[in-house]
Amino acid sequence: MADIYTLGIDVGSTTSKCVILKNGSEIIASALIPAGTGTSGPGRALATALEQAGLSNEQLTAVTATGYGRNTYEGADFLVSELSAHALGAAALMPGVRTVIDIGGQDAKVLHINVDGKLESFLMNDKCAAGTGRFLEVMARVLEKDVTELAEMDAEATGTVNISSTCTVFAESEVISQLAKNVNLNDLVAGIHASVAVRTAGLTRRLGVTPPVGMTGGVARNAGVVRALEKELNTSITVSPLAQLAGAYGAALYGWNKRKENE
Amino acid sequence: MNEVKQMLAELEAVCADPKKQLSDALTQGKKCIGVLPYFCPEELAYAAGMQPFGLWGAEMQVNDSKRYYPAFICSLLHTVLEMGLKGMLNDLSGIMVPICCDSLKGFGANWQYGVGTVPVIDVAWAQNRRLDAGTEFTRAQFRKVLGQLEEIAGHSISDADITAAISVYNKNRAALRDFSAAAARHPEAVSPSARCAAIKAGYFMDRAKHTEALQTLTTKLNALPEASWDGLRVVTTGILADSPALLQILEDNHIAIADDQIAQESVFFRVDTPVTDDPVLGMAKRFETIEGCSVLFDPGKQRGNELVELAKAAHADGILWVMTKFCDPEEYDYVPVKRKIDAAGIPLLTVEVDQQMVNYEQARSAVEAFAEMLRA
Repeated sequence: MADIYTLGIDVGSTTSKCVILKNGSEIIASALIPAGTGTSGPGRALATALEQAGLSNEQLTAVTATGYGRNTYEGADFLVSELSAHALGAAALMPGVRTVIDIGGQDAKVLHINVDGKLESFLMNDKCAAGTGRFLEVMARVLEKDVTELAEMDAEATGTVNISSTCTVFAESEVISQLAKNVNLNDLVAGIHASVAVRTAGLTRRLGVTPPVGMTGGVARNAGVVRALEKELNTSITVSPLAQLAGAYGAALYGWNKRKENE
Repeated sequence: MNEVKQMLAELEAVCADPKKQLSDALTQGKKCIGVLPYFCPEELAYAAGMQPFGLWGAEMQVNDSKRYYPAFICSLLHTVLEMGLKGMLNDLSGIMVPICCDSLKGFGANWQYGVGTVPVIDVAWAQNRRLDAGTEFTRAQFRKVLGQLEEIAGHSISDADITAAISVYNKNRAALRDFSAAAARHPEAVSPSARCAAIKAGYFMDRAKHTEALQTLTTKLNALPEASWDGLRVVTTGILADSPALLQILEDNHIAIADDQIAQESVFFRVDTPVTDDPVLGMAKRFETIEGCSVLFDPGKQRGNELVELAKAAHADGILWVMTKFCDPEEYDYVPVKRKIDAAGIPLLTVEVDQQMVNYEQARSAVEAFAEMLRA
């Protein structure tokens, strides 16, 4: 029997991610391009993943698009909301998790999934950059750092500088005033992460915290945020190395499931 | 089916251009009274031969109103004030302003200072509305409103006039209930947008004419053959659910509105005014019986119980809470009411809306995910 390849593409606000699955289980290629909807990102992510897998477009049985830019992505056989995609992806990457916290480039979501990975309920953040990847990017820019450096800086922190505001614009002013006071930069980063954690924990508690808790999305790669969130929620949080690909992975699984349904 | 479509399109046209209704009423020599939500005794204006004109905000950007209100006030009040400040409501002979939430408390003063030309009629009612003293207070306040309306109308308003107006409104409420039930039976013919428009049009039309239109429409709907519906059914709750973009998203996801607990919709028409010797007392008594709105004193949060019962009776797949951004009473209600919904095991989706929103992609994602969840 010939192998079946399904591709999931997560067209996010700031990044594009692709995952190619072989026979609904094995990830044979993945790509992450730091350019999201309306850019060359989705096309580049697709090309990268296909090249890595040694496949052509025609060899893909199902292409499923998810994420903020899913509706404008051409070439998809199926569309699925990023919430359903993350639920599927998270359940496959972190079997057993019941609460999934997903923080992406411009929004945050909390999902409850059942033991089978089925989405049971969810909440999204309000229309605000606070507590999202965008918030961290803005703060990193103020600190003249790359956003990928924040986790290491947090690990070196000996204290936490309090960032009281949950508004990105006001928090930026607060960070600047703390810089003027010459505070320890690592402690300041820990404060920034704590601020994200407080906001995300509020959203999570609003839906309810059912352990085990897992985290997906780009911000899950920042161990400082994960630690701060664990402290805030008083629970451990599982993070998969493929956390940022959970949406694309879930979309690829969705395509596989759809294909099976149609058989 | 074509006749139904045509009639719904006519009511949608009314909602798309309320200013035309206002102009038409003025051309007929009627004075018009602006009516802000919630629960203003608009029957009294009708009894005076004036046309009540609903003010439920508008989808527009606000600038001038920000001089009077901070940004974190609901867009409903921001946009009504903006229209007033821009002179768009200068043809009104008065505006009824209830004092039932923190933001509305300051509205009359802001209006008087900023708009000036259109007089404010403050409407107070008793929050302890089920005490005898509460009913008497509301009755007395409505009588006070009556006096102001008489001054604007330039003539007295008899109890017989009020009784006749109450009858017109009760018939309208009955027609709205019948239409809502028929629309729920025929989701293939009445989209969420069309349902909303058919109900909302009554705020801009003569109520008697609205009743006639609804009765004809309902008769046509009831004559349609039973049709199967493989989409989803939800019950909506909140203050407003008239955002064209959100209603279109529901339609795109094959979601019908089976019933509602929306202040602008069924909360207005669920209960009638009882017939009493003093018709104003009847209006105060009606106010005692209204349920399901966050601005009303509601010990034990009966709103949650009513909502659960509505969802069960409608065989709804879930509940959609259309949360008006920056509405404190709605936010306060959310936790206790959600607990009751959760306890009943009914899926709930909350979508925040704002009349100044231009991007609905987050709402689209949430509705799509909710639909996927319900269908899974």
